[in-house]
Amino acid sequence: MTAAGLTDTTLLAALLAAKLPFVAFAIILLLTRARPRLSAGLSLTAIAVSLASAGFLLVTHWGIVRPIEYSALWVAGGDISIRVGVLIDPLSLIMLAVVTGICFLVQVYSLGYMASDPGFSRYYAFMSLFAWAMTNLTLAPTLLQLYIFWELVGLASYLLIGFWYEKFSASEAGKKAFVMTRCGDVAFFLGLLLILVHLGNLDIRELNGAAAGRLSPAVVTAGALLIFGGVIGKSAQFPLLTWLPDAMEGPTPVSALLHSATMVAAGVYLFARLFPFFSRSPTALGVCLAIGTVSMLLASTMAMVSRDIKQVWAYSTISQLGLMIMGLAAGNYPAGVFHLTTHAAFKALLFLCSGVFIHAFHSNDMVAIGRQGGRRLRVPAVCLVIAAAALSGIPPFSGFFSKELILAALADLPNPLWVAAGLLGAFMTTYYTFRLIFIILFPAQGGPEKIQSHGDGHGRKSDYQLMTWPLVILAGATVFLGFGEKAVTQFLLQPLGSSAPAAAHHAWLPYAALGLGAAAILLAWVEFGRRGAEQVGFVEKIAPLHALFSNRWYIDRAYRWLLDQVVYRLFSRLCARNDQKVIDGAVDGLGRVVAAGGSRMSILHTGMVQYRLIVVFVSIALMAIYFFI
Amino acid sequence: MGIPFGYVLFLAGTVMVLGMICAAARRNLIMILLGVEVMLNGAAIAFIGAALRWQQLEGQAFVLFIIAIAAAEVSLGLALIVYLYHRTGSLDPEDYQVLK
Repeated sequence: MTAAGLTDTTLLAALLAAKLPFVAFAIILLLTRARPRLSAGLSLTAIAVSLASAGFLLVTHWGIVRPIEYSALWVAGGDISIRVGVLIDPLSLIMLAVVTGICFLVQVYSLGYMASDPGFSRYYAFMSLFAWAMTNLTLAPTLLQLYIFWELVGLASYLLIGFWYEKFSASEAGKKAFVMTRCGDVAFFLGLLLILVHLGNLDIRELNGAAAGRLSPAVVTAGALLIFGGVIGKSAQFPLLTWLPDAMEGPTPVSALLHSATMVAAGVYLFARLFPFFSRSPTALGVCLAIGTVSMLLASTMAMVSRDIKQVWAYSTISQLGLMIMGLAAGNYPAGVFHLTTHAAFKALLFLCSGVFIHAFHSNDMVAIGRQGGRRLRVPAVCLVIAAAALSGIPPFSGFFSKELILAALADLPNPLWVAAGLLGAFMTTYYTFRLIFIILFPAQGGPEKIQSHGDGHGRKSDYQLMTWPLVILAGATVFLGFGEKAVTQFLLQPLGSSAPAAAHHAWLPYAALGLGAAAILLAWVEFGRRGAEQVGFVEKIAPLHALFSNRWYIDRAYRWLLDQVVYRLFSRLCARNDQKVIDGAVDGLGRVVAAGGSRMSILHTGMVQYRLIVVFVSIALMAIYFFI
Repeated sequence: MGIPFGYVLFLAGTVMVLGMICAAARRNLIMILLGVEVMLNGAAIAFIGAALRWQQLEGQAFVLFIIAIAAAEVSLGLALIVYLYHRTGSLDPEDYQVLK
């Protein structure tokens, strides 16, 4: 808990990782906005150093048992004290490595994707802002610091979703994301206040440790549920899940970085961060489990009918985040975190591959991409298949291992409903993933058309190469990360003083999951893949179901109704009436009285406001002299 | 706790008097508003100094209120000035003699 000098390499590395992107952000915004290449260079350098520091920290602290905290007192008064600093423990180290790694790869990728965009510098400035906020969120030792940076990543998300602000739908989507996540954050903040009032500080380690035992069970449950409200908003869980598909209006690398791999995972990270605190309240865990399950199932059904390639991945992100929350809420802490890690890699890969297609064919529609010859882009097509296999939980890709852990945790629960829901979700996930793959790789109606030659052909080759390198690296991570399962689990559990959870062995589970996966692939193949398939899914044939799914279960419409009827009709009208009648009336009346009085008193006045001011000052001075001297 | 309380008060007084001079002597509505803002800051410095001197949190809380009030006041004041400028086409306080 002591603050050491800067000679301490751990602290130095942590500070480098956490602060450099902000320096880049400030320099780009203040100085180098007119020079895009320099801006990109600055941003990339900062994030590269961050990544190196994160790697250094992870390597030197592999296997730490006691968390290391450097912090300084920031706010103190009465019984309340709040510190800021960095907290280094297995969870934050893994998350830091994930965040900086994906940030770096996405920024490299963006060099190609965003090339010749007029807002190039601005883009890199916002990317740096995000990297700064996210690394600090990851390393935060207190909930208040976490909350501050939580809001800052929300800001970065808003700025980047609305990056192409000339497009009306993009700025609308940014606004929607901002407002909807804010709804959850209000609950989060109330939870913080509740804990602050009862505990006197917001220290994460204290909250997770024995000190939280001082709190009454009711307070713990209320606090946990309120904080979980923040998780719902940030990770786009039910009922606040509709902002994430709209957020796909932003540039694709942004979707890959913020809206699938890291920022939306911050909600799950917070849950994992406070896992011991949440586990004190079985009620809260039950609610979390239910919400995770509902979100996972709802989002999977929505993904089954969407034709927009990015929207499919957005729904899939919601459902995978729901799965992580299920894993955590089922009590298996390493399972959730490990799935977060593998998901970050393969979902970023899915988005980046889709980005290459979108960049090449100028279309988000998977059918159009398939027709224009999506499979001719070899590297992205292969990477897409690898990532899709990981998402579907096919061995030996990383998703298989992490999903299996979560399903095993669900199977440990006494109620078999949860594991059934998990398996159903896995089935739907595999189905919609391979639906997309088959549509893109095996287009209907004859062979692929010729790729249209685009006018802006020059420079495309180097852009393409810049974009494929991150794909290859992420694909490597997707293939090999799964084998780190044991090591990561061990690493995560060490500080909690427990070895791997003694889960009952479910021999049938992998077979069930694999069998369902194979069935889903077969179904997708029959409907979309085989020669002469009509490419209409079974859901699309049932009209009411199709309408329900493609309208997102009418959640958006319910919000619209709520907004129109309750907020605009009731509150706004009452406020407007109050404004017109009470406030305006009072002010007008006051004005009339003053004017009437003034016209009588005007004989006394010189008519110059400043002379009156001087009279006031002089009389105050005279009064001061009279009273004090 | 390095700075003596007297110095803080002296600084606060100086800022206050500067604001007073600005508010009373400049013939421009915006500068008058600025002068009032400066006076508020003088008061805020005094509060902060007092909070430090007696180790009480209330002074700091007061300053938060002062900042909030000042922000509200400046937005209201600027709106009034814009409105007045539209009506009269002048920012000189001498031109506002309707009540006389």
